[in-house]
Amino acid sequence: MSTLSVFVVILNVILALLFSLGLAPILVWVERRVAGLIQDRLGPNRCHIKGIRLGGLVQSLADMLKLVFKEDFQAKAIQENFCFSLAPVIVFVSAFLSFMVIPFADDLIINGERFIMQGLPTDLGILWFLALAGLSVYGIMLGGWASRSKYSLLGAMRAGAQVISYEAAMGLSVVSLLITYGSIHLGDIVAYQGELLFGFIPAWGIIVQPIAAIIFIVTAFAEANRTPFDLAEGESEIVGGYHTEYSAMRFGLFFVGEYVAMSASSALIVTLFLGGYHLPYLNTQTLQTTMPYVLGFIILTLPLGSFYAMRWIKKHNRWYLKSDVRNTESAVLQKGLIGLNILVIAGLGALLYLGLTPTSTNVATAVIQVLTFAAKLFLMNFVFVWVRWTLPRFRYDQLQTLGWKVLMPLAIANIVISAIIIVVKGL
Amino acid sequence: MGIKVVKRHGNTLKEKLYLPAIFGGMKTTLSHFITNLSDKPHISTILYPEEQPHDISERYRGVHRLTKRDDESVRCVACFMCATACPAECIFIEAEERTDGVDEKMPKRFDIDLLECVFCGACVEACPCDAIRMDSGIFSFIGKKREDFVLTKEQLLANKEKKQ
Repeated sequence: MSTLSVFVVILNVILALLFSLGLAPILVWVERRVAGLIQDRLGPNRCHIKGIRLGGLVQSLADMLKLVFKEDFQAKAIQENFCFSLAPVIVFVSAFLSFMVIPFADDLIINGERFIMQGLPTDLGILWFLALAGLSVYGIMLGGWASRSKYSLLGAMRAGAQVISYEAAMGLSVVSLLITYGSIHLGDIVAYQGELLFGFIPAWGIIVQPIAAIIFIVTAFAEANRTPFDLAEGESEIVGGYHTEYSAMRFGLFFVGEYVAMSASSALIVTLFLGGYHLPYLNTQTLQTTMPYVLGFIILTLPLGSFYAMRWIKKHNRWYLKSDVRNTESAVLQKGLIGLNILVIAGLGALLYLGLTPTSTNVATAVIQVLTFAAKLFLMNFVFVWVRWTLPRFRYDQLQTLGWKVLMPLAIANIVISAIIIVVKGL
Repeated sequence: MGIKVVKRHGNTLKEKLYLPAIFGGMKTTLSHFITNLSDKPHISTILYPEEQPHDISERYRGVHRLTKRDDESVRCVACFMCATACPAECIFIEAEERTDGVDEKMPKRFDIDLLECVFCGACVEACPCDAIRMDSGIFSFIGKKREDFVLTKEQLLANKEKKQ
């Protein structure tokens, strides 16, 4: 193990942490602000550190601190202390680990060494995800059972029934994908999506396998326990569902675990159906050959984008009194954006001026692909949030009808049709 | 009597597919989201401490005030009608003799405990001299300890009628 490989592995682990755990507070904030804006209200926007509000992002930090320092109350009736404490850990760990096989960029080649850009350098791919995503429901069921509360037990029962109904359809939709892509390694799947279909459409999974995409996205919502399938915690009938009896950071782990699971599901949707880390029409080879133009494009568009972002901030984050925190914050953000622009443009300019070596091209490709992946991941997470504030919750029997009678036959039919097409075309 | 046939919904293919309706709903929520991010948002939330509510009506029952005579002396004659009418028993009056010849009696002490007060307006109704009113328009009263919420006669006299 050279120093370089150790560095790359640590970098990958940090990236995986950032995309799963680091994204959770941001997603909580996005959830609350988007909910507010969709319902014509503001959402949390006041919490600040020395006047820096960032539109209320600091609120998540404050909430996290509150959860950590709250009293960890536990009802006397709960006797299975070990199971009770283990449940949130299972939910959190399984959500967290399922993120580890998502490739953030194409294999990075530095000085002839090849590094797989994912949290765990393994090619188990989608099998790993299916195994661990299915595990998280054990945490929910264990927590609901150990709580010794009827609400919790009902919530856990619903979660169990839901997962049984949906795991089957999800697995079958994945099978049709595997027939198409011919590999379980997510890196190969993304590489397949970098090609063009009929010479002009990106061969993204959502275009190649639209039915599987719909089934997988629907089941991913159920897998992550998100609306419209979050009936494991239906406030109106079973209070908090499986986490009714939890408080403080044990509840916090359930809470964060939900967002990490959502993020992991979106990462897998992005990887399987939305081209993964590829920009449309720019797969790794084309990106590397056209790298000077891509960097030039970034140098040109970054100031333009920052200008519009700044104008938006100035219009929306201000108050008529000069000394108000909003005005000072806007000024600080402006300085930060200008500094960032100067830094990035100077760096890229130097890179272009000195001439691109194969190593620097590879690293730049990896950075661009990681950023692309992050943007797609964020958009998919936004879709999760957006759907939550649009749709009402499914009823228990409707959910099972949908799972068994609609999605599963559809998935099986899709497998048969895909297989026939693959065999006939001899692909 | 004719029979009215009610058309059943939910049986067409489009409705059974669910997805068109879901996308329709998502379009609605997204349009709200984008409008509220744009320069002309439809948010009616007021930014409270900086921005004061603008819908306080003329008849809004705010914090009480004691009215004055033309010579700027207190109008109250300490008849205890308001304290008697008060359902929350939050008015504490101590009477004294009035020596300036305007009237016979006046309050020495006139305290209202705002933490007890239910802002029902019964004192205003009961007053025979129009000496107590609730037209100050003060809707939020802030204090750091319980004693701060007991308004004295001087404080009540200092409250002004809200300009409409």
